[in-house]
Amino acid sequence: MTDATKDTVVAKNADALIQRDRAGGEPGRRRVVLGLLAMLGLTLDAQTIPCARAADAPLVMGIFPRRHATLTTELYEPLAAYLSRELGRELQLVTAKDFDAFWDGVEQRRFDIVHYNQFHYVRSADKYRVIAHNEEFGLGTVAGALYVRKDSGISAIGQLRGRKVVFGGGTDAMMSYILPSYLLLQAGLQPTDYETIFSKNPPNSLISLFHGKADASGAGDILIDLPVVRNAMDTSSVTHLGMTERILHLPWAVRKDMPKALSARIQALLVGLKASEEGRAILTRAEMTGFGAASDVDYDPHRRIIRKVMPAMTIPR
Amino acid sequence: MRLASKFILMVAGILSVTLALNAYFFLHSQNRILEQELNERGHVLGHLIALISPDAILGLDFLTLNDYAREVSRQQDVVYGVIVDNDEQPLTSHVNGSNAHVRSVLGLIGPAPEYLPPPRLKALVQQLAQLPDVIPIDFPIVHDGRQLGRLRVGMSREALTTKAREQLIQQFTIYAAIILFLCTAIYLVFKYSVMHPVQRLIKVSQDLGRGEFTLVPVTNGDELGRLGETFNEMTREIQREQAKLQYQANYDSLTAQPNRLLGVERLQQEIHSARRQQQHFALMIIDLDDFKIVNDTMGHAVGDRLLGHVSTHIRACLRDEDTLARLGGDEFLVLLPRLGQASDARDVADRLLEAVSAPVTLDGREVVAHCSIGIALFPDDGETVEVLMANADNAMYQAKKPGRQSICFFTAEMNAQVRERLQLEQDLNKVLARNELHLVFQPIFRAGDGAYVGAEALLRWQHPERGLISPATFIPIAESTGQIVAIGEWVLRETGRQLRRWMNAGLAPGYVAVNIARVQLREDLQQLIRSVLDDNALPAQALELEITENILLDDHQQINTVLGHLHAQGLRFSLDDFGTGYSSLSYLRRFSFDTLKIDRSFVAPLCEDANAAALVRAIVAMAHSLSLKVVAEGVETPAQLEFLQSLGCDYLQGYLLSLPLDTEHFTAFLTRLTQAPPPWGHETLLTDG
Repeated sequence: MTDATKDTVVAKNADALIQRDRAGGEPGRRRVVLGLLAMLGLTLDAQTIPCARAADAPLVMGIFPRRHATLTTELYEPLAAYLSRELGRELQLVTAKDFDAFWDGVEQRRFDIVHYNQFHYVRSADKYRVIAHNEEFGLGTVAGALYVRKDSGISAIGQLRGRKVVFGGGTDAMMSYILPSYLLLQAGLQPTDYETIFSKNPPNSLISLFHGKADASGAGDILIDLPVVRNAMDTSSVTHLGMTERILHLPWAVRKDMPKALSARIQALLVGLKASEEGRAILTRAEMTGFGAASDVDYDPHRRIIRKVMPAMTIPR
Repeated sequence: MRLASKFILMVAGILSVTLALNAYFFLHSQNRILEQELNERGHVLGHLIALISPDAILGLDFLTLNDYAREVSRQQDVVYGVIVDNDEQPLTSHVNGSNAHVRSVLGLIGPAPEYLPPPRLKALVQQLAQLPDVIPIDFPIVHDGRQLGRLRVGMSREALTTKAREQLIQQFTIYAAIILFLCTAIYLVFKYSVMHPVQRLIKVSQDLGRGEFTLVPVTNGDELGRLGETFNEMTREIQREQAKLQYQANYDSLTAQPNRLLGVERLQQEIHSARRQQQHFALMIIDLDDFKIVNDTMGHAVGDRLLGHVSTHIRACLRDEDTLARLGGDEFLVLLPRLGQASDARDVADRLLEAVSAPVTLDGREVVAHCSIGIALFPDDGETVEVLMANADNAMYQAKKPGRQSICFFTAEMNAQVRERLQLEQDLNKVLARNELHLVFQPIFRAGDGAYVGAEALLRWQHPERGLISPATFIPIAESTGQIVAIGEWVLRETGRQLRRWMNAGLAPGYVAVNIARVQLREDLQQLIRSVLDDNALPAQALELEITENILLDDHQQINTVLGHLHAQGLRFSLDDFGTGYSSLSYLRRFSFDTLKIDRSFVAPLCEDANAAALVRAIVAMAHSLSLKVVAEGVETPAQLEFLQSLGCDYLQGYLLSLPLDTEHFTAFLTRLTQAPPPWGHETLLTDG
């Protein structure tokens, strides 16, 4: 096990299960039990796999801390269990307490399978190869957006000059920072033309706007529809001020040194999830509607936008 | 209300107040402690959240803040938990929609939404904080010395109130049980230790009120026990006193025999008993003869001792079941129950006569008493106490009459006499109003020369139905009923008026002697005499008052005083019926008499009986020796006249000389006197002027 595991939760670890159970409540418990059963099935199945396969090292699946670690584990545990079962290999689900820790894991290539944002992928494209992307709310693409409160009187991006704009997460946030910043740039506003503040994460960006902590919020266009946001604020009180072009959704990548067959197998398993009942359940649990196949070129638009926003950044290939 | 109820109510009241105060202070302090605990809990919670919130506030991590708010709101007794910035704007949107206070303020029946926009949440918090049931607590959220905001927590007193209410109910139930138990216990103790003795005392008091002497059972020596003992002692004392009073009320102290009251009561009982058992009994009334003489001559003390001896003798002749009672004076009652025949009563009466007449030595002198016995038989002679007593009394009076046997059974004729007497009594009441009385005057003449000197006024009653009634018949009745006072006054006034009429007519009536009864000898007699004399302008010598010697037997100081005063005014007195009574000659010396009148019973046999003549001679000689004039009454024959003259008798009165004359004839008599010489000698008549 790598160093990253000190900040991770292993799916089969009982303590982690209990922790998830506590965080997720009764439905979560059922899912955990189902997961356990699945793991038990995998274990039994593994006993039938040839000895050479049984000797393979476990696969590590890293999930970026888009959400709380407990929630992340809860959401992706069924997927991990599914992949483990289908691949016939042990699979460890790993997340991190924060982005720095997570990024360190990326940098150190601790993850065999990694799920992060587009900016992460663009920066780590020399180490990882994208194989799939998220589909949420039936869409495989997202757009960056600027939100304002409906009662703010702001109707054009240009009106944000001299105003306070809150972005979610930090400068790593593709949808909550880079895309909205790109939108601002397109409107002719340089970062110095407005005050930039960051909230803890993208949902908080919109909620900060709701609480009046900023005049505009930069976030993904679908953020307003996320339950976590809808539960925390009155989403009808805010509106889109502007949106970027649509770009491919959050990527799933594998280490570049992963055998092609395995990565293809994983890609097939992910993309094929929505075809089965079980797969749909896994997707629902992960708050997704599906996976789409993706390749590196699909993220060139992202590279273009990042270069605009962060001209000084070196983008690996 | 009963004493026990009052006591228990009082105890219950005191206990209730005491326990209520206790409960109040207990619950009050309990409430305070619970509220402190609640506050403490709120503070711990608030401090914790305030401690961990700065990161989230600084990082604009509203989701985390909301999680904090959710966690705070989920806590027991927390109504709301809201993090606000320095502008009081909520940084969280979570509300506990299931909280009743929240629902109430929002005006919702079902669950409230879990999130509210900041303005609504702010207003909600302000409203909730003002609820009396909510304790608002504020905690500043500070980072690096800079206040980032505040955590507002509202703690509900609802659980506290519910707990206090439950505690109150529990406390009330326990105290009610305590009060009930204590009251029951105290009531039982009070009932058995206090009320039972008190009720026994009440019952004994009621018994005592009914005359039943029962004692209180005393079982212990406490205050009630001592009260019981004291009460018992009082009961015994009352019993003794009542026995004493009863004895005094029912027994004669002189003879130790039942008195009239008890005698009558026993007679009543005997009537009931005899009637029920159809038996006969005899009632005797025994009266000593001339007992007054013993009293007068030997003193009342001797008389009392004689009565004691007599009662002892009578008692000795009677059976145990017979009753002897002293009715008063020298009168006794004897009750002979279960009498076989009337003759048995006579046998007993004979024995009683014999026993009473047994000689008794008193003060060295032998005294022999006699008695008269009247007997009435039940049921023949009466069936009630009153009738039997009256009939036995009548019989006794009959026995007392001269010439009768000392034992007399009641007869129906006696009742007739009694009725006649009663009728006369009633008629006497109207005699003055009806003007049925009139006076007749019998002249008195001087023995030496036959000159008229005066007259004796004699009373006559002309009854409208029965004709003329003798004074011997109605005067005793009038004396016994007291009517003699009014009649005597009428006689005096009529005599005075008549004297004045005669004098006004130029006649010389002399003096008029008027008989005075015993009861008239009172102090007001002087005023009456003075009034008669003054009203008619008469000299004192115009009246002479005649008194029978029996009156003097009383030897009362009052009589002596009255007589002395009248004599000093110039009135003259004569002693009437001298020799017929029991007066001693000492009376003649003690009282100031002017004249002595010899009774006709001595004059009648004067010529035939030498003893009588000697007696009259002695009386005349004695009177003269005491400077008294002598009037001889009942002179009816010339021989008596001559004899009395020869004895030196001073004045004569009798049918030989003149019958009693009514006013008209006496006026004519006086008129003739002014024209014709007296029968013999010179007249020295009293005239007006």
